[in-house]
Amino acid sequence: MSITLPTRRDEAWRWADLDTLSAARTTPRAEIGDAADHFLDLDGPRLVFVDGAFDAARSDPRRVRVQAIAAETAHPLGMHAAGTGWSLDLDASEAETCIQIAHLGSGGESHVPATLTLGRDAVASVVESYAGSGWANRLTRIRLAEGARLMRSVRLVQSAGFVSLREEAEIGQAASLVSIFLGAGGMGSRIDGELVVTGDGGFAEMGGALLTRGEQRQECAVAVRHAALDGSSMQLWRAVAADRSAASLAARVEVARGAQKTDGEQSLRGLLLDRTATVNLKPELEIFADDVKCAHGATVGELDRAAMFYLQSRGLPEGVAKALLTRAFVADAIDRIGEEPVRAAFLADAEAWLAEALA
Amino acid sequence: MLEINNLHAEIAGNAILKGLSLTVNAGEVHAIMGPNGAGKSTLGYVLGGRPGYEVTEGSVSFDGADLLELEPHERAAAGLFLGFQYPVEIPGISNVQFLRESLNAQRKGRGEAPLSGAEFLKLARAQADALGMDHDMLKRPVNVGFSGGEKKRNEMVQMGILSPRLAILDETDSGLDIDALRTVGDGINRILRAPDKAVILITHYQRLLEYVRPDFVHVLADGRITRTGGPELALELEAQGYGALAA
Ligand SMILES: Nc1ncnc2c1ncn2[C@@H]1O[C@H](COP(=O)(O)OP(=O)(O)OP(=O)(O)O)[C@@H](O)[C@H]1O
Ligand SMILES: [Mg+2]
Repeated sequence: MSITLPTRRDEAWRWADLDTLSAARTTPRAEIGDAADHFLDLDGPRLVFVDGAFDAARSDPRRVRVQAIAAETAHPLGMHAAGTGWSLDLDASEAETCIQIAHLGSGGESHVPATLTLGRDAVASVVESYAGSGWANRLTRIRLAEGARLMRSVRLVQSAGFVSLREEAEIGQAASLVSIFLGAGGMGSRIDGELVVTGDGGFAEMGGALLTRGEQRQECAVAVRHAALDGSSMQLWRAVAADRSAASLAARVEVARGAQKTDGEQSLRGLLLDRTATVNLKPELEIFADDVKCAHGATVGELDRAAMFYLQSRGLPEGVAKALLTRAFVADAIDRIGEEPVRAAFLADAEAWLAEALA
Repeated sequence: MLEINNLHAEIAGNAILKGLSLTVNAGEVHAIMGPNGAGKSTLGYVLGGRPGYEVTEGSVSFDGADLLELEPHERAAAGLFLGFQYPVEIPGISNVQFLRESLNAQRKGRGEAPLSGAEFLKLARAQADALGMDHDMLKRPVNVGFSGGEKKRNEMVQMGILSPRLAILDETDSGLDIDALRTVGDGINRILRAPDKAVILITHYQRLLEYVRPDFVHVLADGRITRTGGPELALELEAQGYGALAA
């Protein structure tokens, strides 16, 4: 496929690891592992995509449909995610929880679109896992009608390659979207999001934790736009960077003229495990209404030395003390996941990453 | 048990301990008193192995081994406990999780089997009961939002769980109310008053010493021990202050 990638001269892409993305496109395909490894023990629909192709034999989609979807977006990567993908359409008051999607890559590039359309007061939850290698490029479009609620938990645990995710959502009146991401693999990543609160009293949340080590680079570039009254939003991101890696968090809150009583919270924090690592933070607020409350904080630091010594003085070896403190830092973000088993699985992934990074 | 010989230590190039010597035998209680800034907490940190506290001269042996060669966690596993003057708040880590991991790390270092979650909880609850700490506080993040006195009590619960052989308790009595002082005093006696254990109490007040009777009272001033006596020295200091002593 011929794709024109953005370049780092574009302000919005200056931290992007486009070299790793390009390299991942041409890695040869190989055997793929067992998809079952990537499913949690939850009862619900299961879909497996191998190198972007739906694997019917290993899936149980139930009411999730696999079909051709157009890539209706201007996003430079998302626009290439057209073709066969998956869709969930829920009518008013319907519920479909614990949907699990495993994306397994063996090499090369794969592009999969998805749509989630929830009717009035419908409820859904989705867990997505990215494993293997190659370039996984995804576009997810979400529409939530009045009172609908969607919880998305996405973990990026590819051992290599690159994952680029583009999420676009419209959140209706009193509807709620929570999307939490964990980057705890060896791949590069770019998590792109644009959530628009279109109905009064809607809630939009996008956040997560990016853990990087070696020469790895991961980033998010997300925006929440408040276009209605009484909306609230949360963007809580944590970045942990070791070795010579870099994690970058760019998050924007936009409050349109007339979107009074908006409450937008933003918390971006970075933790450097080594002096040679980098965390870039770019918090942005663009407020055109006068009666709004937007709390925001952005900080980068190292592990608290007093806390380190306190833990060590009680008998914890340095590596264990570091892992405990770092885990607590990351848990801030993962605790936003509402479903206990999912939260536990994501925390376990973060712990496994820490055990390796601090070994 | 503990033999400190001509210890010199500095922080960021400033000499703080300037030739401190002290011998603590098993079964003894030592009190260290002294003016603010004399180096009492520094002594505790140096014995605990805090990074940034550089020993420039002298030696410390613990049970015949070179204490200064050990990493902080190895000192803990060897039986040393430091009660902090200012216990550190650690958001996101619960007391139980922290202490269970600590105890099991120590046990591992000594070649003992780890305690299960249930075994540990039983031990932790018993210690909390003995020190009058609410069980709910065991589940809370380490020291976060604890009052001054609650933090000190938590230090003692930790000490009870870890059961060290030598404790250096840095102003554990400051911030405690009258009843808590007695509870903590009883706790120290229960946990550390044994023929094979010892304790160093750093304190500004005579009160704690009424509950935990010291065998020796030392004055630490300007980085060294300037005077040593029995329990009566604490009373004398309380009556006259350090100024009179120096004169
Ligand atoms: N990080 C540091 N950098 C420079 N000087 C320090 C540092 N930490 C402590 N000091 C100095 O070391 C000296 C001894 O401090 P220490 O805390 O040991 O005193 P102390 O005897 O415990 O006093 P107090 O009774 O007030 O607790 C003080 O003068 C203090 O200012
Ligand atoms: Mg002190």
